[in-house]
Amino acid sequence: MFSLFSDFFACRDNRFSRIDPRVKLVVATTAIICVILSTSVALPVAVFLLSVVTTLALRIPVRLVALRLAAPLGIVAVLALLQSFTSGSTPLWSVPLGAWTLTATREGVHAAALTASRVCGAVSVVLLLSLVTPAHRIFHALRWFHVPQGWVEIAMLMYRYTFTLLDLTADLTAAQQLRMGYAGAGRALSSMGAVCGTVIIRSVDQAIRTHEAMVLRGYRQQIPFGPMPPLVAQDCCVTGLAVVALLLLYAAVGRAA
Amino acid sequence: MTRSRVSLLAPVALLLFAFPPPASAMHISEGILPAPWAALWFVLSVPFLIWGLHDLRVRSEREPMFKSLVGLVGAAVFVISCMPIPVPTAGTCSHPCATGMAAILIGPALTVVITSIALLLQALFLAHGGLTTLGADIVSMGVAGAFAGYGVFRLATTLGVSRWPAAFLAGLLSDWATYAITSFELASALHGNASLGQTFLAIAVAFCPTQIPLGILEGIVTAAACRFIEKRRPGLIASLNQPHGGVA
Amino acid sequence: MKRNGLAIEAADVSFAYQEGTLALTDVDFRANYGEFIAMLASNGSGKTTLIKTLVRLLKPQKGIVRVAGREIGSYPQAELYQTVGLVFQNPNDQIFGATVEEDVAFGPRNLSLAESEVQQRITDALKAVAAAHLRERAIHHLSFGEQKRVAIAGVLAMKPSILILDEPTAGLDPAGEGMIMRLLHRLNRQQGITVILATHSVDLLPLFADRIYLLNRGRVLREGPSREIFCDRDLIAQASLRLPYVSHLLDDLNRLDGVPIEGMPLTLGEARTQLLKLIPDEVIVKPPAKEQR
Repeated sequence: MFSLFSDFFACRDNRFSRIDPRVKLVVATTAIICVILSTSVALPVAVFLLSVVTTLALRIPVRLVALRLAAPLGIVAVLALLQSFTSGSTPLWSVPLGAWTLTATREGVHAAALTASRVCGAVSVVLLLSLVTPAHRIFHALRWFHVPQGWVEIAMLMYRYTFTLLDLTADLTAAQQLRMGYAGAGRALSSMGAVCGTVIIRSVDQAIRTHEAMVLRGYRQQIPFGPMPPLVAQDCCVTGLAVVALLLLYAAVGRAA
Repeated sequence: MTRSRVSLLAPVALLLFAFPPPASAMHISEGILPAPWAALWFVLSVPFLIWGLHDLRVRSEREPMFKSLVGLVGAAVFVISCMPIPVPTAGTCSHPCATGMAAILIGPALTVVITSIALLLQALFLAHGGLTTLGADIVSMGVAGAFAGYGVFRLATTLGVSRWPAAFLAGLLSDWATYAITSFELASALHGNASLGQTFLAIAVAFCPTQIPLGILEGIVTAAACRFIEKRRPGLIASLNQPHGGVA
Repeated sequence: MKRNGLAIEAADVSFAYQEGTLALTDVDFRANYGEFIAMLASNGSGKTTLIKTLVRLLKPQKGIVRVAGREIGSYPQAELYQTVGLVFQNPNDQIFGATVEEDVAFGPRNLSLAESEVQQRITDALKAVAAAHLRERAIHHLSFGEQKRVAIAGVLAMKPSILILDEPTAGLDPAGEGMIMRLLHRLNRQQGITVILATHSVDLLPLFADRIYLLNRGRVLREGPSREIFCDRDLIAQASLRLPYVSHLLDDLNRLDGVPIEGMPLTLGEARTQLLKLIPDEVIVKPPAKEQR
């Protein structure tokens, strides 16, 4: 869990990580919107394949991609089952289950397939975005898109200290484990409570010291953001082309016949 | 009507025996919600975010270090929400929402703000939740979880219940509220030509083997954490919780 | 930046925390421009409190703190923090940016400097701590030693004339410790920055510190050049500290075994000279000339 939360790959240098974060945000958002607007399976599947191939071409380990996709796919499996069996009216096939008979319907299966493909397509886009863009560049870009200062500042602080507190949590938990803190459910819960409490107390102390250190470097209630590098013509072209391509793709295969 | 009853129970049975619901069940994944629904939940979440940011500005004016405090407590809550809790009935680990805890510490409106950030980070780094479903997740986790947790905590403490049983209720109800609203969000978007109520029930039942015990466990952890803080740093919760915010 | 006179001074300062702990009692502390000063003290002896009064994070109940001859309370924020910089003991307290560049830029940007000047200061500050190659790196991918240096760079970017460091070498490996001390020495000698550091590691100090303040339980036990401080073994022990190991060894040889050692050698070099004087030439086998340093 802890090792999963890493931006190791986002910090690597490659063709995609060098693209301006604003471009990537716009393109990724367009792609996701096209995917969720799509009423046919083709577009989401195309987007999914495209992003996964790109991701793997950037030499991201298959295991990581699979792990990241696993959680949303689990939910999708549950929902797909529900949708196949609960909605629609044209019976497709039946499964006898003890005293009952389960009937999957054509509409239900279609809806389930669509939902599943949308999730795969959209999640793979976010995954690709996150694997080529470090969080701090996304925050910087969000500030440029006029997301409120307070929100971005808190996001930066949260992101920065998440790593410190994750280390602390891992140490505390390991130290408890070595002293039998997780033997038995009751003890496990009280150990967890102690970890949570300690993390919170530590975070409050850290906040005081961080604030002091910020004041000593001239902090006046606003973290100053440096200028974003100007968008060059190439960035705009890339954005334009990618967005147009996605819209064309949507027009061509995005709607069910 | 028999078919619909069957269709309701069968997947649940399947789930229970073959496929325990996934760990991060209560985040709506990217791509599940159709565009209009995604947009609607976004619109609904915005006023709460504005409220939270307003709260932040007002409280930072009175207490200059308040912003760092929210950032750090936010990080702590985020880290806590990443801790795996073993859920015996589902046979897997699930994760607490920690919104009840956060609401007790910094109030519900700011909890919405830090939840929105945590959700964005999770969407980006863990593929839990998503960008277009951010609005829906903010409403279910941030708004519903924080306000339910905070409401019951205030109510209980006003009624004279001591702090840590109140914290138990806050953890419990914030988790269940999130679970209920998420189920509703999923059902309303996905019920197709089935009835909304039936789909809602189906989803709610499908996830109940994880979510019911998870809520109770989350309540216990929240209470244990509160008690721990009260023992180690008496007065910390009370001082954070004042409307003007500050650290004693 | 070379000036004469007092850079920073705490006169007769006492400080008690709210719960009643008396952290400082009648402390007199003075640093002249261009000096390299160490506050030598064991844990819990008030050095962090003293440091905090020197940068106005704490206001002493008694006594006065002056920076460049002016009472510290009279400074506007921006001016004070461009005069005195504080590097915290734990780099996590200080570094909150996500990348090195972003964090070092924080101070200069707060001063509303032009972007070109901001960039220049980042470059200079990182160069001064031998961390230019870390510029684009994410903070959580740095080693502890690297974080320490970046924390110093973040303060240097404010261009303070007085640099205060709380335990700059705590938790570092010997190589890292040496590196930090040498770069502080360079900042002091080449850029004329007044360096004040709090520490309880004694071995490297005699090489670098011009003067040492020996603190114990919130009081100044003694003040002076390292030679004066370290000649009194009992005083050092009273402050829960020790002599540098090499001095300890030679002092023991002198006191317990009657080896005639003059004075108190404080560094390896001094000790070596002293011992060579005592060892008869005929027992020494000279190594081949090329290996001699």
